[in-house]
Amino acid sequence: MANAFVAAFEILSFGAIIVLIVLGLGIIASMMGIFNFAQGEFVLLGAYITYLAYAKGLPIWAGMAAAPFVVGALGFVLEALIIRRFYAAPIVAMLGTYALGLIIRESVRGLIGGFYLTVPEPIGGSLDIGAMHISAWRFTIIVITLLVMGGCYLLLSRTSFGLRVRATLENPSLARASGISTPLIYGATFAFGAALAGLAGALIVPVFSLFADLGLRFLIQGFVAVMVGGVGSFIGPVAGAGVIGTLSAALPWVMAPVVADVLVFVLAIVFIKFRPQGLIAGKGV
Amino acid sequence: MSGVREAIAGDEADDAMAERVAAGRARKQTGAGRKVLPIVEGVVLVAALLAPLVLQDYLTVFATRVIILALFALSFDLVWGYAGIMSFGQALFFGSAGYGVALLARDLDITNMFLVLPAGTLIGLTFALLLGGFLLLGRHPSSVIFVSLGTLTGSYAADRLARGWYYLGGQNGIPSIAPMSLGSYELSEGPAFYYLVLGILVVVYLLCRFLVRSQFGLALAGLRENEQRIAFFGYKAQHLKAIVFTIGGAIAGLAGSLYAFHEGFVWPNMVGVVVSTQVVLYVLFGGSGTLIGAVIGAVIVEGVSFWLSDNYRDIWPIILGLLLLLVILFRPLGLISFVLGERERVGSFGAKPKEKRNAAP
Repeated sequence: MANAFVAAFEILSFGAIIVLIVLGLGIIASMMGIFNFAQGEFVLLGAYITYLAYAKGLPIWAGMAAAPFVVGALGFVLEALIIRRFYAAPIVAMLGTYALGLIIRESVRGLIGGFYLTVPEPIGGSLDIGAMHISAWRFTIIVITLLVMGGCYLLLSRTSFGLRVRATLENPSLARASGISTPLIYGATFAFGAALAGLAGALIVPVFSLFADLGLRFLIQGFVAVMVGGVGSFIGPVAGAGVIGTLSAALPWVMAPVVADVLVFVLAIVFIKFRPQGLIAGKGV
Repeated sequence: MSGVREAIAGDEADDAMAERVAAGRARKQTGAGRKVLPIVEGVVLVAALLAPLVLQDYLTVFATRVIILALFALSFDLVWGYAGIMSFGQALFFGSAGYGVALLARDLDITNMFLVLPAGTLIGLTFALLLGGFLLLGRHPSSVIFVSLGTLTGSYAADRLARGWYYLGGQNGIPSIAPMSLGSYELSEGPAFYYLVLGILVVVYLLCRFLVRSQFGLALAGLRENEQRIAFFGYKAQHLKAIVFTIGGAIAGLAGSLYAFHEGFVWPNMVGVVVSTQVVLYVLFGGSGTLIGAVIGAVIVEGVSFWLSDNYRDIWPIILGLLLLLVILFRPLGLISFVLGERERVGSFGAKPKEKRNAAP
């Protein structure tokens, strides 16, 4: 019983991390129709900023709070300067964002060297529920993920900004004709997606430690999750992330980790092949 | 009435235009100096033939590696530059062939050149046929994004598999592969290996050149420019794509098996995302859609990185990223487009029409 509970918690916390990373990726893919290869590097930057704050003696919380804003601002600038030119051509966008990601990743590699740097958990220790111990920090990640998901949902479904975002998603030219500044909406969306990645990086750095290829590890899982979930809605990528995260964390409990690792990808690709629209088709929230 | 006159005037204008075009064509045909592509190809070939004579030994070894990578780049160029399939997982075929021949050499002691190279090619071909067939064929045409992410995922999954599988050597790969043999002669690094690889590259290059300049190549170019229209013409667009993808996989497999024997070891990166994206870099730099562009791209990227890696090892990847971004933004046709015009890049297809043009007007 206790074992099953620990397993469930592990699965849930890993799923939460994937959801957090996929949220930004999914929002950008849905809005602009591009798959952002630099998303993994935004995660890396978030992690790096947190580490920087810690290394400078600031409280880790401060670094974690700053990370999404810094990465979001960077995302806004990059969108205005570079990404904007790629919207018409999804393949060129992949290559261009890959080049951007390469620049960011190698810059961070140059800054940290080839090391694995650790950042302590801001909330250490464990929560005791009866005889079971679960990591307090992983529990916090789950809570924050839920809050972020709820916040995103409310932002998109209840605010006037969300309405404009949805309008731009549904029909860009009609939205433009109605007086919505679609370039601004695109810029804001990209910045928001980048900020979510930055937050994800800041939250996971105590769990995974900081190394230059941190982002790459999640990027492909993120892509697969977005495609499984379905591009075009808010809930689709989240659902996809839930499925992929759960499978990646759950399968190693029942089979050899090597096989499980590969099986997740094979299953996902086969699924997308036969259901290209993903789990949840359609646009909207 | 005025309408008719205008129409006549229009006809005259058309005639004048046609004459000018014909005159231009005649000039182009007589002015042989205008063809840039054969010159570039010739220069590259002569430089490649002379390289081992002027390079020191360790540089010849490096040049051999570059030629193998150029062969690999050719396979990606065929798939992306000509058929418009973004294969982000080309290393899957490169690396799996490398692993395949490494296992042949390790477990079965087979190192004969005439066995291992066809075996590697076959491995690449088979994997490409399976993956390409699955991704590209089917009742509904797959989206470009699905194909590119599917190949990327395939390559990543293979990387993870190679890392975790003890039989394949795990993280360390398979070290110290026996050298490739030709009868009793062992081919180790050096000029002999270099010329062998160069010969293979030239043969494959010529085959590719024939392929992309044939009617099949014309259908491919149409596929790249407007897939729907090609489908309306009655071509089976997905089959064409799968065929090119498979040919590309076979060439990548050949390159991978040469690479494995030249380096003497294989390791998981060889099937993974790193090498897959590296080959994309070569072709984008050099110029996709021209075969020589892929070769030049591989030579330039590898050459500069070799040259810079002594002093600027840390910042070279950053410079590479910046250059790549600049090329994508401002030179989407690659470095070759500085010397090669659009018309010549697209080229002509099929057998040359008999000298009808000069006689007709």
